[in-house]
Amino acid sequence: MTKRLLNILFLLLPLTLHAQEATVVLKGKVVDSADGYPLIGVAVYVDDSKTGTMTDVDGAYELKIPQRRCEVTFSYMGYDEEIRLYTTKNASAFSRIVMSMNAEQLADVVVTGVYERKKESFTGASATFKTDELKAVGSTNVLQSLKTLDPSFKMMESTQFGSNPNMMPDIEIRGKTSVAGLKEEYGTDPNQPLFILDGFETTLETIMNLNMNRVASVTILKDAASTAIYGSKASNGVVVIETKAPARGRLQLSYKGDFGLSLADLSDYNLMNAREKLEFESLAGVYKDHTGNAFAQIRLDNLYNERLKEIERGVDTYWLSEPVRTGFTHKHNIYAEGGEDKIRYGIGLSYGDVAGVMKDSDRQTLEGNVDLIYRSGKFQFSNKLSINWLDVSNPVVSFAEYAYANPYYRKYNADGGIDRYLYYPEEGIDDYPVANPLWNAHLNNWDKASGFGFTNNFILEWFLSKEFRLRAKFGLTKQDDSEQTRLSPLHTQFDDVGETEKGLYSHTQIDELSYEGDVAATFGKLIAEKHMVNAVGGFNFSSLKRQVYGYSANGFTDDRFDAPSFANGYPSGGSPDYSQSLKRAASFYVNGGYVYDDRYLMDFNYRLDGASMFGTGNRFRNTWSVGTGWNVHKEPFMQNSDFFSLLKIRGSVGNPGNQNFSAYQAFSTYKFNGWMTNVFGTGVILNALGNTQLAWQETVNYDLGTDLTFWGERVNVTLDYFWKHTDPLLAVITTPGSMGVTSVAMNAGSQKTQGWETTFRISPIYRPAEGINWNISFNATSLRSVYANIGDSFSALNESGKTSLAGTTRYYDGGSPTAIWAVRSAGIDPATGKELFIKKDGTYSFTYDVNDEVVVGDTQPKIEGLFGTMLYYKGLSVGCFFRYRWGGQVFNSSLFQKVENIGTQEIYNNQDKRALYDRWSENNREAYFKGISMVQKTEKSSRFVMDDNSVVGESFNLGYEFPDKVARRMGVGAMNLQLTMTDVFRASTVRVERGIDYPFARSMTMSMGITF
Amino acid sequence: MRRIFAYIAASVLLLTSCDAWLDVKPYDKMSQDELLSDEEGFIKLLNGIYIELNSDMLYGGALSVEMVEIMGGAYVIGTDNTVWGNYSDLASYQYGTEYWRSRFSETWNKAYSLILNCNLLLENLENTRVSFTGDNYKIIKGEALALRAMLHFDMLRLFGPVFLRNADLPAIPYYKEYTIVPNAQMTAREAAQEITKDLLESRILLANDPVRTEGTRLDAPSDGSSTFMYYRNLRLNYYAVTALLARSSLYFGDNKEAYAYSTEVIKAAETIFPFVDRSLVTGSPEDPDRIFSSEVIFALSHTQRNRLFKNYFDPSRIPNYVFRMDNDLMSSKVFGGGSLTGGNQDDYRYRVNWVATGANRYFYKYSDMVETGNIRNTMIPMLRLGEMYLIAAESRSEDIGAGLAYVNRLREKRGVGNLQQLDRQILQYEYIRELYGEGQLFYMYKRMFTPVLFSAVDSRNPQPSDAIFTVPLPDTETENR
Repeated sequence: MTKRLLNILFLLLPLTLHAQEATVVLKGKVVDSADGYPLIGVAVYVDDSKTGTMTDVDGAYELKIPQRRCEVTFSYMGYDEEIRLYTTKNASAFSRIVMSMNAEQLADVVVTGVYERKKESFTGASATFKTDELKAVGSTNVLQSLKTLDPSFKMMESTQFGSNPNMMPDIEIRGKTSVAGLKEEYGTDPNQPLFILDGFETTLETIMNLNMNRVASVTILKDAASTAIYGSKASNGVVVIETKAPARGRLQLSYKGDFGLSLADLSDYNLMNAREKLEFESLAGVYKDHTGNAFAQIRLDNLYNERLKEIERGVDTYWLSEPVRTGFTHKHNIYAEGGEDKIRYGIGLSYGDVAGVMKDSDRQTLEGNVDLIYRSGKFQFSNKLSINWLDVSNPVVSFAEYAYANPYYRKYNADGGIDRYLYYPEEGIDDYPVANPLWNAHLNNWDKASGFGFTNNFILEWFLSKEFRLRAKFGLTKQDDSEQTRLSPLHTQFDDVGETEKGLYSHTQIDELSYEGDVAATFGKLIAEKHMVNAVGGFNFSSLKRQVYGYSANGFTDDRFDAPSFANGYPSGGSPDYSQSLKRAASFYVNGGYVYDDRYLMDFNYRLDGASMFGTGNRFRNTWSVGTGWNVHKEPFMQNSDFFSLLKIRGSVGNPGNQNFSAYQAFSTYKFNGWMTNVFGTGVILNALGNTQLAWQETVNYDLGTDLTFWGERVNVTLDYFWKHTDPLLAVITTPGSMGVTSVAMNAGSQKTQGWETTFRISPIYRPAEGINWNISFNATSLRSVYANIGDSFSALNESGKTSLAGTTRYYDGGSPTAIWAVRSAGIDPATGKELFIKKDGTYSFTYDVNDEVVVGDTQPKIEGLFGTMLYYKGLSVGCFFRYRWGGQVFNSSLFQKVENIGTQEIYNNQDKRALYDRWSENNREAYFKGISMVQKTEKSSRFVMDDNSVVGESFNLGYEFPDKVARRMGVGAMNLQLTMTDVFRASTVRVERGIDYPFARSMTMSMGITF
Repeated sequence: MRRIFAYIAASVLLLTSCDAWLDVKPYDKMSQDELLSDEEGFIKLLNGIYIELNSDMLYGGALSVEMVEIMGGAYVIGTDNTVWGNYSDLASYQYGTEYWRSRFSETWNKAYSLILNCNLLLENLENTRVSFTGDNYKIIKGEALALRAMLHFDMLRLFGPVFLRNADLPAIPYYKEYTIVPNAQMTAREAAQEITKDLLESRILLANDPVRTEGTRLDAPSDGSSTFMYYRNLRLNYYAVTALLARSSLYFGDNKEAYAYSTEVIKAAETIFPFVDRSLVTGSPEDPDRIFSSEVIFALSHTQRNRLFKNYFDPSRIPNYVFRMDNDLMSSKVFGGGSLTGGNQDDYRYRVNWVATGANRYFYKYSDMVETGNIRNTMIPMLRLGEMYLIAAESRSEDIGAGLAYVNRLREKRGVGNLQQLDRQILQYEYIRELYGEGQLFYMYKRMFTPVLFSAVDSRNPQPSDAIFTVPLPDTETENR
């Protein structure tokens, strides 16, 4: 206590003497530790006096200071503060001041896109990955790599579209918050997280197209404390991506290239060969005439014999090899950067050509970008401009059509040509013709899209003082896309169409213009050495206008001449498509953080959002969050132990919302009764009923977590428990017809989700000084959701699910959104071959009753995640990552539709091998499947629900960083090589056809980076 | 302190300007605010509702000549499914089949969607600042109320219980305002009160309807100026609402009111809805006015009305199905049978509307007149003078016989002689003669709770029962509550 008093006295003393003090002038130059370049605009001042100055263009400064002991501070944004003691005798020590880039800025900072915070003092749940980590596990795109690194970030695998490079995936962070079915209704995925690129909101497409080599870091914000600053857009989590800023120095040129190979993975297909298929058809009774007509029987016998003869001749066509190819992918990125402290610039050009594993499946991207940073005194201007061009094409004949083709047909006719039909029934025979998939594929059909757009993001920062900063941002994006498809007049689809109406050309144009502006003030100060206060407040506005228009034309006469000018006219009754939507949002936000002595942490956020999509009754909405944390490792009682370098416990709560909904759902709109006018003229009636009282979907989000680093930085653990309550849900509800509409967007019920996630990394060998490090990582996540208070709101969806062929999703209170509903099955009765069902009350019955449905499984696994290992030895690195999934079930639609339920139409398609084997018959009574039949309908039962446990070899990689000496001898500054293999293998307890319209791919990529 | 006020004022200003900026209007669709910003918008919306009444699911088919008329026993329905499709199920009152469930549900949904349009119109009319010319405000409001009542009334007649037996059973919901919360089912009696209330209010609003002083005004200006106050018989005019009150009062068992309203219309009709000119009917056998257009108090205007004839009654449709009356029923009861039935082949209604092709006679009420573009070729009669005479006859006293004079007056205008006596059976035949093909017969049998006359042979006619007269509510109605 006495010491402190003395201190204060000591401080006061010089002040009182200030007037008659002698002064001295310090002279010197401030340079960057990394490259020795002068730093311009560095603040130089003496702490307890009002004297201060700034360095000039050469980094030089002159400062008049009192001739006594004092501390001189050198402060510069983004750099570690440099404080030197002036002892009255060491003026020469001030001639050259070396400042270095803030280490925290580079490593342990959470970038939220609105503000930055030291990871150690942040209370939110987030994960940050650097470019090297992302590149190490894959080179396809940022999101592909992210899913290998973080268990909460999930990219939904599409059984339908496989590895189609032109399909945008569905993405979720910590599960769904919205009812399924809305995507179909509104076109946007209501569970998609928010993407922020360099501080501006952007689209999933932009992120998918972004060349990975431009990325500096990616941060996933998961809980309320970290996402609430984005308010009503944040309930699905936020992905913040920062691109690299140009580095200072002489002009430096770097090249990065990726060269990849991908192969279709057809191992999930288990189709019959020619002999098996014919036997199956024969057993199903295809070659038996049921009317007892002798002539018909002779025809069928002949047909069977013909096919058998073909098989004896060795025909056993493997159709699946036709549409696939080895896809070659190459991507290049050239970046030139340089400049001095005042002006820095970067100019880049990226090109990518991705060839999918199906023929005609291509995606080409070209992107140019110019980054400029200009700094003058207290101002910094930065501008990022990027221009992109896109050209894609898709196969016209889906993969499924090849999977349907029977193996006993030949691909080519005797002349080597392609026939239109594989089988065409004779005149007067009531039978289906079988089209040849190769016929439609060899015609001049196409499905193409192209796009052109630019984004310009401008940021102005004004460093008013050390503590206080103002920032204004404005971003503008224009994107024009067009989609064109053409079907040749010879396409089998037009077989029954008049000569002048064959062929089809359609064109859709999508124009988007969006802008976003933001003004914010940032404050940060350490008060009395123990109280760290941070605050951000600002105003944000954004607008997105989207216009879609298109038309179709038909009446082509020639396969070859495909320009729309050859069309004969428009489809009869067709009218042009047109739609326009305009969404606007405006918000105010405040964020505050307080840290006491680096030990006790507090964060709060508040945001007021307004959006045009919501009704006048509910236009504005509040978002808040509070987070708190405790750095246990900073406590005095831990100071003696070196074991923990980080031990933090944190918790947060908040209510981020979701506004991924359509633009005009709050409006009642009207249309003309186009079909009739009368003597009174035109009439108008209601088109869509709006709901002005529609409330925002809101998710209250709790998170409790801990971050641990111990054993000399060798072990890293993060553990989070979270609990989410979305209330109200926003859904399109089927209403009683008497309300005048059959469905309406309404708030109904709620959804509760709880789960946990963990990442664990240990380095048994950790010798950073020698460049040797071996680590093993493991991460896992688990979550479970239930509906509450939905009552009968979704009864129509439940009813349609019950009657649909394979719908197993139901909406009931207490039910899980991912539960599989079906009637329990006791298997096939050996005596009769009939399926024995278990009724709700546990009794057995041969009759199927849809009301006996219960939950028989859940597609959400009990636990899933990744494990892997990386070894760094000097410049060499080797790693592999495996994805696992355990405790979930799946409704095996392959068994349901390609083994049983093969009707009189499906019998003409090739089927799963299991449709022939393991079927019940007099001789095989213990079979799992019913007897072969074309007429028997199989109902949804638990017999088709299977455990879905799997392990996937998601990413294997090998990298080498050439030593400087070697690189220089090769004439370059630095060089590295990397080899990555993705989806190498997949082992699963269930065998189900994956990649129906487009197969999955296994790929291998070689990447190299050269800096000149 | 002043500074704080300045901040508050600035943020309030910013917020309100934000609100205006966020108020986005769709460009590719008509928003409600935009449409209903002037009188023209309200008039268009009202006209839109009239146009939609012509839908196949309502009076352009199901509720006039097709579905409900089959239920009313008007047509001979064969049993060959390839020709008659699902109609044989309906003729045997199997409402539960998938096809008919969905057909009734379509009709229900369409009727209520128009009720919603009425309610949106009325609600906006209530809160609007638009100024209306002359009596337009009252006329628009009156017609919208009447449309709402008429649609509810027909849903009640179709889906509700047999009123005079079970008025306190739950029937239909009655929507008086736009809401996103479903209204509860009302009993038939409660719904009847709402219907009557709406019609009475409408009648007061339509007190200055030009139809009362200037008649139906078919002489609309052709210079392009507004036709809104013209063609009053194509709108729910003052007398149409009065006639609707007569019809509904009779259905609800309020005979005194039914008599009062029907006779009011009969009295006014002398000048406004005169009986059809004999010369137009018998004087021009080539091109008669088959719907007796001058007597029509309210009709829809359907620009392709000839589809009704082509799709259902045209004998050239054979071998496809054609709707026509049972031969025996026609020759021995409806247009034959002498004084016992009142049937007579001299009846204009027979001579004009029933044309022989081969052994059968076919129904020509909806076949076009020669003159193209004639407004009469678009009319689907919804309320006609003849019905008013029959209502007056039926409601004059407990004793049906007391109404004989009204029936005879009508018969005189149809070119047939007086009856000596009147009973329920003869009255029913008279209803059939007058209203055939206009969708009213089913409701008549349901109201009187008597067998449905498909045939001249009593044993072939379905006996009255709640099961055949009450159509179950659509699934969407019962499930989504």
